[in-house]
Amino acid sequence: MKNVIQAEHKKIFFLRFSRVYLLFTIGISLVAGFIFSVTTHVTQGRAITDLSVLEVVSANMLGIDLASILLIIFTGLSISREFTAETIYSSLTVCPDRKKFFMGKYITFFFLSIVLSVLLIALIYLSSQVILMMNNMDAANLANADIRQFVLGIMVMPVFYCLLTVAATIFFKSSGGGIAFSIIVIAFPALINMFSDTVQKVLLPIMPQSAIHSLSGTAAEGSFEALGTFTSIGLLLLWLVITSLIAIISFQKRDF
Amino acid sequence: MIEIKNLTKTFKDKISVNQLSLIIHPGVVTGFLGPNGAGKSTTMKMILGLTNPSEGSVTIDGQSYKDLKQPISKVGALINGDAVNPKLTAKQHLELIAAASGIPEKQTEKMLIETGLENVKHKQVNTFSLGMKQRLGIATALLGNPETVILDEPFNGLDVDGIHWLRELTKKLAQNGKAVLISSHLMSEMQMIADRMIILAQGNLIADMTVAELAETSLGAYVKVRCENNEELISLLTEKGADIKQNKNKELHVHHLEMKQIGLLAKEKNLALYELTKVQPSLEELFVELTEGKMDYVSTGTTPVEGRELK
Repeated sequence: MKNVIQAEHKKIFFLRFSRVYLLFTIGISLVAGFIFSVTTHVTQGRAITDLSVLEVVSANMLGIDLASILLIIFTGLSISREFTAETIYSSLTVCPDRKKFFMGKYITFFFLSIVLSVLLIALIYLSSQVILMMNNMDAANLANADIRQFVLGIMVMPVFYCLLTVAATIFFKSSGGGIAFSIIVIAFPALINMFSDTVQKVLLPIMPQSAIHSLSGTAAEGSFEALGTFTSIGLLLLWLVITSLIAIISFQKRDF
Repeated sequence: MIEIKNLTKTFKDKISVNQLSLIIHPGVVTGFLGPNGAGKSTTMKMILGLTNPSEGSVTIDGQSYKDLKQPISKVGALINGDAVNPKLTAKQHLELIAAASGIPEKQTEKMLIETGLENVKHKQVNTFSLGMKQRLGIATALLGNPETVILDEPFNGLDVDGIHWLRELTKKLAQNGKAVLISSHLMSEMQMIADRMIILAQGNLIADMTVAELAETSLGAYVKVRCENNEELISLLTEKGADIKQNKNKELHVHHLEMKQIGLLAKEKNLALYELTKVQPSLEELFVELTEGKMDYVSTGTTPVEGRELK
């Protein structure tokens, strides 16, 4: 497994495209977060000085949403190359155990998304401090339970959607399929919100967004999104396990 | 040793490989021939676990490819020379294969030198010609110093130097005790390098023998005879079971009788022979004879078909 992970790591970082794209993701997400937090008078109709420290951090952390989408695209493109460039022939000749091959990719992208997520959150958090300082507001403090929960909860998002895209891209054998699946999962709750409470009550609690909102403390208390910590973690794990199992089973049966 | 037993692959309603049983022996270059769609590539992919068999099994030293601990040190394969990430350099491609297999990185340098890619190792594969990609594919196949080497159409795109190199390489591999399985449409090359031929058509095994054995069984093999009295010789040889055709130049083409027997029979009757030559069909002629009417894809237009002349 260690060899497979090493090879997957090389597959990503040997490519100039990957290195540039990941740096771009960090840069643009940081810039986007900054713009979101200094334009609240336009987007929320409230001056930044009228916001609480958590609200400023929260607006800045919208950069993570963008990073998640960019990471979904990166994951889809990177993995689908195995099929479009037919490198799957040499990959599977070297590692014919397809479950192991899948897990190698999964673990590699897990680590990649964790590193990216932690790094980006640290940078955005620092940028939030700068914004708060520039506006003579109190600094954000991780000793504050709400801020800590928010930062830790939001960290899950890029990792979760990245792993979802790994499974979906292998299942669909295309970047289009993998990316579309994850974007639909992200966007679906917005669609559900257009339906009656009965529909929302059934569907919203099973969507990953509810779990992520609950973990980060942004799910309103008493809303259909609000779940307990363990339920949220369990729900996200269930999504990952089910999608991975489907991907592994279809991958094992497939002929190349 | 690779052992294939009753291997069958069905795609929807089409049988690609049908009850194929054979053994790929070490120390031998085995040619794998067949018209397009005969099932050669599918068989190779099933050996490597890339395609799942519908029935039957393939074992490498008693184990399936998927169960091998370090598969590329058992079987090295070139399935598609183009199957390389075009944005990687030759060295990077070999390095990541080496990393995935736990092979020391220095082995990649050795392979780059052996395949003549040393000078272009830092160039991206998208700048490579088809021949260079084939060399890289062969380097990948040999990276793990495998006991068996499988090469699917390795001559494609190779220049004259490349063809000579590959010819020598395959012979050297076999001499070193490795089993070499090569598919190609270049009959002349196969005739030069292969010790044994496996011919498939429409998924079925048509022949599994040496070129000499193939020629023996061929209807295309005959003895050319020029004689002072054709009529007398024809009657004499026909009595002995020969099948004889006479061409415009009064040459006799004698089938089903050995050259020595013809000479002795003529001597007994005091018939002077001006020529007695054994004519062996080329591999291409044998191939056409064996696969006649067993092709899935036959050209009907005016474009010349490889290996055949338009009538």
